[in-house]
Amino acid sequence: MASVHESLYFNPMMTNGVVHANVFGIKDWVTPYKIAVLVLLNEMGRTGEAAVSLMERRRLNQLLLPLLQGPDITLSKLYKLIEESCPQLANSVQIRIKLMAEGELKDMEQFFDDLSDSFSGTEPEVHKTSVVGLFLRHMILAYSKLSFSQVFKLYTALQQYFQNGEKKTVEDADMELTSTEEGERKMEKEELDVSIREEEVSCSGPLSQKQAEFFLSQQASLLKNDETKALTPASLQKELNNLLKFNPDFAEAHYLSYLNNLRVQDVFSSTHSLLHYFDRLILTGAESKSNGEEGYGRSLRYAALNLAALHCRFGHYQQAELALQEAIRIAQEANDHVCLQHCLSWLYVLGQKRSDSYVLLEHSVKKAVHFGLPYLASLGIQSLVQQRAFAGKTANKLMDALKDSDLLHWKHSLSELIDISIAQKTAIWRLYGRSTMALQQAQMLLSMNSLESVNAGVQQNNTESFAVALCHLAELHAEQGCFAAASEVLKHLRERFPPNSQHAQLWMLCDQKIQFDRAMNDGKYHLADSLVTGITALNSVEGVYRKAIVLQAQNQMSEAHKLLQKLLIHCQKIRNTEMVISVLLSVAELYRRSSSPTIALPVLLQALALSKEYRLQYLASETVLNLAFAQLILGIPEQALSLLHMAIEPILADGAVLDKGRAMFLVAKCQVASAASYDPPKKAEALEAAIENLNEAKNYFAKVDCKEQIRDVVYFQARLYHTLGKTQERNRCAMLFRQLHQELPSHGVPLINHL
Amino acid sequence: MAANPTVVPVALTAPVVQVLSASGDFSNLREIKKQLLLIAGLTRERGLLHSSKWSAELAFSLPALPLAELQPPPPITEEDAQDMDAYTLAKAYFDVKEYDRAAHFLHGCNSKKAYFLYMYSRYLSGEKKKDDETVDSLGPLEKGQVKNEALRELRVELSKKHQARELDGFGLYLYGVVLRKLDLVKEAIDVFVEATHVLPLHWGAWLELCNLITDKEMLKFLSLPDTWMKEFFLAHIYTELQLIEEALQKYQNLIDVGFSKSSYIVSQIAVAYHNIRDIDKALSIFNELRKQDPYRIENMDTFSNLLYVRSMKSELSYLAHNLCEIDKYRVETCCVIGNYYSLRSQHEKAALYFQRALKLNPRYLGAWTLMGHEYMEMKNTSAAIQAYRHAIEVNKRDYRAWYGLGQTYEILKMPFYCLYYYRRAHQLRPNDSRMLVALGECYEKLNQLVEAKKCYWRAYAVGDVEKMALVKLAKLHEQLTESEQAAQCYIKYIQDIYSCGEIVEHLEESTAFRYLAQYYFKCKLWDEASTCAQKCCAFNDTREEGKALLRQILQLRNQGEIPSTEMPAPFFLPASLSANNTPTRRVSPLNLSSVTP
Repeated sequence: MASVHESLYFNPMMTNGVVHANVFGIKDWVTPYKIAVLVLLNEMGRTGEAAVSLMERRRLNQLLLPLLQGPDITLSKLYKLIEESCPQLANSVQIRIKLMAEGELKDMEQFFDDLSDSFSGTEPEVHKTSVVGLFLRHMILAYSKLSFSQVFKLYTALQQYFQNGEKKTVEDADMELTSTEEGERKMEKEELDVSIREEEVSCSGPLSQKQAEFFLSQQASLLKNDETKALTPASLQKELNNLLKFNPDFAEAHYLSYLNNLRVQDVFSSTHSLLHYFDRLILTGAESKSNGEEGYGRSLRYAALNLAALHCRFGHYQQAELALQEAIRIAQEANDHVCLQHCLSWLYVLGQKRSDSYVLLEHSVKKAVHFGLPYLASLGIQSLVQQRAFAGKTANKLMDALKDSDLLHWKHSLSELIDISIAQKTAIWRLYGRSTMALQQAQMLLSMNSLESVNAGVQQNNTESFAVALCHLAELHAEQGCFAAASEVLKHLRERFPPNSQHAQLWMLCDQKIQFDRAMNDGKYHLADSLVTGITALNSVEGVYRKAIVLQAQNQMSEAHKLLQKLLIHCQKIRNTEMVISVLLSVAELYRRSSSPTIALPVLLQALALSKEYRLQYLASETVLNLAFAQLILGIPEQALSLLHMAIEPILADGAVLDKGRAMFLVAKCQVASAASYDPPKKAEALEAAIENLNEAKNYFAKVDCKEQIRDVVYFQARLYHTLGKTQERNRCAMLFRQLHQELPSHGVPLINHL
Repeated sequence: MAANPTVVPVALTAPVVQVLSASGDFSNLREIKKQLLLIAGLTRERGLLHSSKWSAELAFSLPALPLAELQPPPPITEEDAQDMDAYTLAKAYFDVKEYDRAAHFLHGCNSKKAYFLYMYSRYLSGEKKKDDETVDSLGPLEKGQVKNEALRELRVELSKKHQARELDGFGLYLYGVVLRKLDLVKEAIDVFVEATHVLPLHWGAWLELCNLITDKEMLKFLSLPDTWMKEFFLAHIYTELQLIEEALQKYQNLIDVGFSKSSYIVSQIAVAYHNIRDIDKALSIFNELRKQDPYRIENMDTFSNLLYVRSMKSELSYLAHNLCEIDKYRVETCCVIGNYYSLRSQHEKAALYFQRALKLNPRYLGAWTLMGHEYMEMKNTSAAIQAYRHAIEVNKRDYRAWYGLGQTYEILKMPFYCLYYYRRAHQLRPNDSRMLVALGECYEKLNQLVEAKKCYWRAYAVGDVEKMALVKLAKLHEQLTESEQAAQCYIKYIQDIYSCGEIVEHLEESTAFRYLAQYYFKCKLWDEASTCAQKCCAFNDTREEGKALLRQILQLRNQGEIPSTEMPAPFFLPASLSANNTPTRRVSPLNLSSVTP
């Protein structure tokens, strides 16, 4: 039965079993909307300089390009657009379309006959090769290719289009005047039409090939640069499905659909779309290229390569490797060095997931330069820099390398890579503990005008590098105790990168970390504990570390110790030096708090050696701080003091506020301890100095809301004042201490044991 | 009708027909025959030719009725009489495909029959115009946009009538068709189900339902009328959903109750056997069918596929010429001829004929796939990929197209890439060993031996068609120096071949014996080793090795070793293996570690 109704619609314009997407070689054809645009162009040509003011003409010209490129829109919308730029022209266009639609077929024929006049004459209105001229000629060509019945069909379509437009405007006007009777009739009709209408609302009609290409490239670039401005995944998919329904051979739509599926992390659909795209591409590639076999094999290689990329993106490294091997093999057989080069880069990316071998990468960079692939080369350099930074190379070499690659970027105007480069510099400075430099780089990226902005008309692009820079900025502010500013930055991030977009994870992690730190400072350990799960979800290593810290703070030493040991082994395996040092510091603190500072010493020395080797200055000074404290406990305050003098400078210059406070506090403690052996006048002097330092420390702690530390400081000050016999000050401090002590629960940790 | 002669046929609505076909069993074949004749007449009057044909065919397979039992033609009502002239004229126009004209003269008729014909002519006219439009649409991209303009209006009118419950079974059927054409699948299914309740005898409605149901789950949730027609429907849909065993069971039941002469059922059974690749049975049934109904064209493409698989050139040639004489512009004919040329390795011509088939009916899925195969033969991989993709677009569940795509990429030496396609094919036919073997081979090429082993074992477990899975498995074990498992596989392989009793020369037989001989030799099981070595001597390529091994065995035995076997084990089955390692064909879930998108 089915076969009876099955239409015989097939129009077998195929040779060699391949149906041509583009049978007549026309990328465009005449639609009623196009006729309306043609009328507009025609009117613009006819009205002289006098009738339209310069301003209006400029606005019209600006309007033209989107009209020519964009999808078909309804007549009423078109009127509105024209009206916004030039009311009187809108009127005359309306009249002409009305005349044409309500007249006869010959009016339309006449219109098209007259169109070509604009090219003739000694001084033609339209230049043949201008955008408008090309459009006109396309249209004339498309029109003249229409068959008899097609012309008539076009005319009826025009009438339909006109009537719909009229109806719409009438409806708008009548909105409040509708009589009850008519309303009833309408209701009935609408009831039936409602489901039909719903389906059709989204698809405003088929796009011509040109319009489709425009749509695809626009969406693709938005996906890359600024995801929030692109259509939402669901609606984009709907549009694409619609497009594919009208032209199943439009392979690029499959690729966009692949990108779109990547956005929502849908591995099944994205694989499906990707493979479909390449199946389709293979045939078009073979068709279009004169050297058929070449183009065909090429797309095969890239198909395999893309598959590898897809698997890599979803974390299927083994699959990715297999696909990559395949790509490499085919590319080698075909002697395609460019493709091989891409493969090499991916090979590095994959290798990075397992072990860090930079030999591959160096090789890749050299080769890429050799084959003149600047993008790949500088991407390689950037990866290399990143890898070397973790491996502890000196900053000047890295910065040199970055500078060299920057030269390359500016030369080829690879704005995307410039952004990455700056973001990378921010990260490197932070890694080395130079917060000021990091701050400066981040600000530079943010206040820099992107090169793209000239083309796309977007102020800034929402790329990953921006997300990274902003995250660093937020963390830097939080470190300095400017929590309001940090949360402002995070709010901005949230707006620019909505939670379900690609780079949202970055700021989510950053947000959680800041919150965690604040909770720890406040002594709200239960709150910090609840944040740990969130952090673990985003970054497991970080999560485990934070968990250990919370445990430690809650005095669950043995659990914390177990966790830290496990983490230490893991981090040593994955060569995450930064984390290794942090873990070592925590371990040392654990030992110290368990009253065995002597065991802590070798651990601290190990940490110090590591941080010196990898030039992680921030961590180094942190380690020195810990060392000094250990020495203080061991009863050699003079040693501790001299050690502190070494570390205090970088801490005060670049450290976080909390660290500054801790450093000052420690200095004061050491001063007091070493003053014990002094004679009275000198001692009093030393104690005064200590009180000064304590005041400073208190200020720092106040900035980051560390009540516990403030309490300790106040207590200490009270004792010092007492020793100095300053009763009044002592009482003030004691009162402050009492207030704070009532607020905070006491954990029973001896005061002296706290750094 | 005879049961209730007072009811007029115009009012052929739910109650009447339900009385007629309320019986869910086949006890009263005469009654069924009467019903079939009646419905054949009714559908013919309404221009539903295929349903009419189906009913008539089925009626023909039942014994003839005596004169006394023959039904009088249904009486005519007042409404019918009023519309009689218009209907007669319109039907004549309809029959010569002047649909608009027919619709024009039927406008305003009230009788159900005339109304249906009115709507149906409008529908067909729209379809016809759509087909004509496609040829000169405004642009290539508009191709997909050409719509049957009449559909919307028809839907609006029919849904009004539907809400007012004024539609009879045929009207509901037409409404369903309109909905389906508008891609409103859910609504269409509901309407078709309703249509089957109101008029269960109309085969067209059931068939439409078949096309809309995509899996077993959907079928479960349908509430269908409990009539004998349901059995036909279920059998048909089981065949469609590849539930072959259930389908065969249903058809056997139908034959048992007395439809043994129906060419429809016979052909369906043949197709079912074809689907499970029981080639001999299918061939014999098709031959039988051709004797019964020599001018039948339907399903002959399937028949030709079978002949092709068996490389029966002369039979295929005969079939092709015969069909060409009957009607050369039928899709099936083109397909048969294409197969014929393909068998003769004239692939260009074959592709040409498949193209012609597609011109006749672009939704004829098989031709796309077959054309893909032809392009593969011609080494035109890009065209092949294109053809397969088209097949998939027409029907996503076409496992042959997926398999073909996989093969294409395998030929292009992209084993990883083709995994995806083979997996798709495997998902659609989980119990087809060919996909599994293909998957296994790919994994082997990718050096993923664990996965490959799984695939081969599974292929063997689901019943290997080509008998190659075990050998491949054995070779894998050999590679991994798992000699015991390898030996087991070879043993199973040899058992399999012997139990099949096929005389077909198996290339790998000698390999198996050679390996076994060496294996037993290493295990110092001299008796078994010498038996196997003797077997080796029967093959050309291993003769020398066999002889050498025999000599060695003799030598070692003569060195004074007492034969280790007190109790001679059965033919090449050492006790350790035969006791608990009988090949259990237990199908464990295939758990490939890789991600399966």
